[in-house]
Amino acid sequence: MSTALFHPALYASLALCALGLAWRMSAWFRVRVGPDACTVTPWQRMVAALRGVAVALFGRRLFRVLGALVLDALLLRRLYANAKLRWLGHQLILVGFTLLLLMHALAALVSEKLFQGYQPTLEPYLFLRNLFGVMVLVGVGLLWFGRRRERSGFAQARAFLGAAFVALLGFVLVSGFLLEAHKIASPRAFYRMTEQYAGTTDAEQLKPLRALWASEFGVAFADLQQPIAADLVERGRELQRDACASCHAKPASAFVSYPLARLLAPVTGLMDAAGADTWLWYLHVFACLLGLASLPFTRFFHVLAAPISLLVDAAAPQRALSAQPYAIEARASQRALALDACVRCGICDERCSVALLARYLGNPDLLPSHKLIATGALAKGRLLRSGEEEHALRAAEGAFLCTDCGRCTSRCPVGLDLEDLWQAGRGDLAVAGLAPPAQWVQARPALAWAESLEAVPRQHGLAAPDAAFAPLSADRRSFSRCVQCQTCTNVCPVVAHSTDAEHGIDLTPQKVMNLLRLGLSDLALGSRMVWDCASCYQCQESCPEGVRVADIIYELRALAVRRLGSVRSRRQAA
Amino acid sequence: MKYALFLGCKIPSQLPAYEASTRAVLGHLGVTLVDLRFDCCGYPARSYSRDAFVVAAARNLALAERAGLDLLTPCSCCFGSLRHAIRFLSEDAELRARVAQTLAAEGLTWSGSIGVEHLLPLLAREVGVAALAAAVRVPRSGLRVAAQYGCHALRPSDVSGIDNPIAPTMFETLIRVTGATPVDWPRRLDCCGDPLHEANAPLAGHMTRAKITDALESGAQALCSACPHCQLRFDAVQAGSTDPAIQTLLYTQLLGLALGLPAKSLGL
Repeated sequence: MSTALFHPALYASLALCALGLAWRMSAWFRVRVGPDACTVTPWQRMVAALRGVAVALFGRRLFRVLGALVLDALLLRRLYANAKLRWLGHQLILVGFTLLLLMHALAALVSEKLFQGYQPTLEPYLFLRNLFGVMVLVGVGLLWFGRRRERSGFAQARAFLGAAFVALLGFVLVSGFLLEAHKIASPRAFYRMTEQYAGTTDAEQLKPLRALWASEFGVAFADLQQPIAADLVERGRELQRDACASCHAKPASAFVSYPLARLLAPVTGLMDAAGADTWLWYLHVFACLLGLASLPFTRFFHVLAAPISLLVDAAAPQRALSAQPYAIEARASQRALALDACVRCGICDERCSVALLARYLGNPDLLPSHKLIATGALAKGRLLRSGEEEHALRAAEGAFLCTDCGRCTSRCPVGLDLEDLWQAGRGDLAVAGLAPPAQWVQARPALAWAESLEAVPRQHGLAAPDAAFAPLSADRRSFSRCVQCQTCTNVCPVVAHSTDAEHGIDLTPQKVMNLLRLGLSDLALGSRMVWDCASCYQCQESCPEGVRVADIIYELRALAVRRLGSVRSRRQAA
Repeated sequence: MKYALFLGCKIPSQLPAYEASTRAVLGHLGVTLVDLRFDCCGYPARSYSRDAFVVAAARNLALAERAGLDLLTPCSCCFGSLRHAIRFLSEDAELRARVAQTLAAEGLTWSGSIGVEHLLPLLAREVGVAALAAAVRVPRSGLRVAAQYGCHALRPSDVSGIDNPIAPTMFETLIRVTGATPVDWPRRLDCCGDPLHEANAPLAGHMTRAKITDALESGAQALCSACPHCQLRFDAVQAGSTDPAIQTLLYTQLLGLALGLPAKSLGL
């Protein structure tokens, strides 16, 4: 079997992996999330990170960091608290995969050094390899099932990358089992071994051994006479003891591969002829190497980013209530790290306070797992490219409808400080001209908006206030009673505090009602009075005519978001 | 007395002391609180879409309805939102049908059978001032307190009014029962400025500062809130300022101290 391509491929994969890791990890110091992150250089951030590592290693926080390493990074207590089934799945994969990696993949470096006379075909390695493989497969199944049980109603964020990696992992395991099964069943492998270790190719001499290996070791000889004579098998057993037993145990304990070998028996001859031992080996090994090379670029990168993020979080000054200020040099890196440490598990989405609004408005970017990607895309400039305008607007709506309830942060299995990330992201959005409505509407005078509206031909749903959407503004009876007595204006605290021209309001509540009365509601949509209303309901409470002033102002805002929003997109497109 | 406790979004994450003190005080007074899987009351969506706002609120109402419990909230803004949603649902049959369709996806319905109550009237009426007075162990004598109701607990009175909107006395009565002295302050019914913060931070800051100054000038030693938005806004404005500051106190903390509950259980 030629494995000539193995070493070049291994070194190429290792090189790609190392370069990829360096590139991805450098992003933790390069990517700037939040306007405050733009005030520090990557160099300052690296220095702060090194200092942080030193403080964590030699300071009082060492115990907290060690505790986080064991409880959070290895035992995953945060995942356990929120999703027990997925925790079990994850731990099966973690343990199974790690042990397969050490015992099997890195046998030359680990098993052969640690265990006297290690041979992959001896017990307990035969059994253990199958056990670990099954653990990983069962774990993958549990993760998938656990995820299916709790659905947000939206496709998983970046589902493709996750699925591709799971497919690759599954391929590695299945090809491994197939390879092992084929090697068990393969007569060709049998003859190769007997020539090498029993020192003979003589058919007569090998007859007893063949009988034994066919009946007890699962080799699928096509030319073997049935039934096999019992005395022949017994003679084979002696030969077996002398020539094979030091390296070969009965494969029956390989509880997946052995039955698979029996299943493959009818086609083993064909597979041998096709050189299956070579190409199955290449498929298996190259799938592993592909996984290695692509590790930095798939979700598997979290095996590095997530534990580091957890340790950094433990080493950082505790959020909230902390007397120590958390320097932006360090915080900026932690935000960039958070973008990579997110596993897209979606556990945050399950209890998001505005998940229902996300579904109702048809905007997945209200959900934390999606919002994190949008926050990253904005920080890396991708959200501002042409063709992304709609996504950018959705991201802004998601960011500003978030209520900062903090449930995503408290549920995150990798302990991300998501509230900090959301706040930083909102800052970036505002800088990019994607401010909340109260700000983008007020960036232009009401009159300018009204003129823009004038220029837009009135069509579908953008006509006069829609009765279902804004029933009070649509029904003239709700405001026609206004006698312009100005009581609303007199009791309005916003009017009272509007002492300077720069931050003061333009219209008064009574004038807004008058514009509605005159059929000039377009002039009110962009007014500062509408957007600077404190919703304290003094006006509505005091109106002698019972006009629902504040309720109407709320409706005008919703109308403005809808109608001025379409004008705004048009302007941006132009 | 058994209620589904609606904490809203601000309290658990940004003002845990309010949750702790509310649970401690109400537990002490024999009010049973049940936790349901509530979400956002809908308040932030109101400027985007009335329908979205009502849908969000109605889901919470429907959850409480399924549990057969009235809702109790210590947040004046959540209180106003939920009460407004009930009003909109009651007066608009088409809206009701649209909302019912969305709720049905989760197997929920809203029929209007349950009520929404604010913390202050619960204490003043359900528990009762006399029962509170009997339970006070450590009167806060000598403490002069300015009551901050939170606009949405009072106005509009036909939706959420827990008391006379022009001349409320409920909060002052509740302060008096702790042994403290309520002060009369001209700006007591004014907005704290919080809802305006995103749209116009300077103007909002002006409003908050005016209230703090007014409370101080009226001789108050503490500003006592019954809404997390007011409390957080006062704290935020005072945190970044060298102007004269006033102690901020949640009503449940003031009452808890008077009941003799340990300060730690009240988040103090």
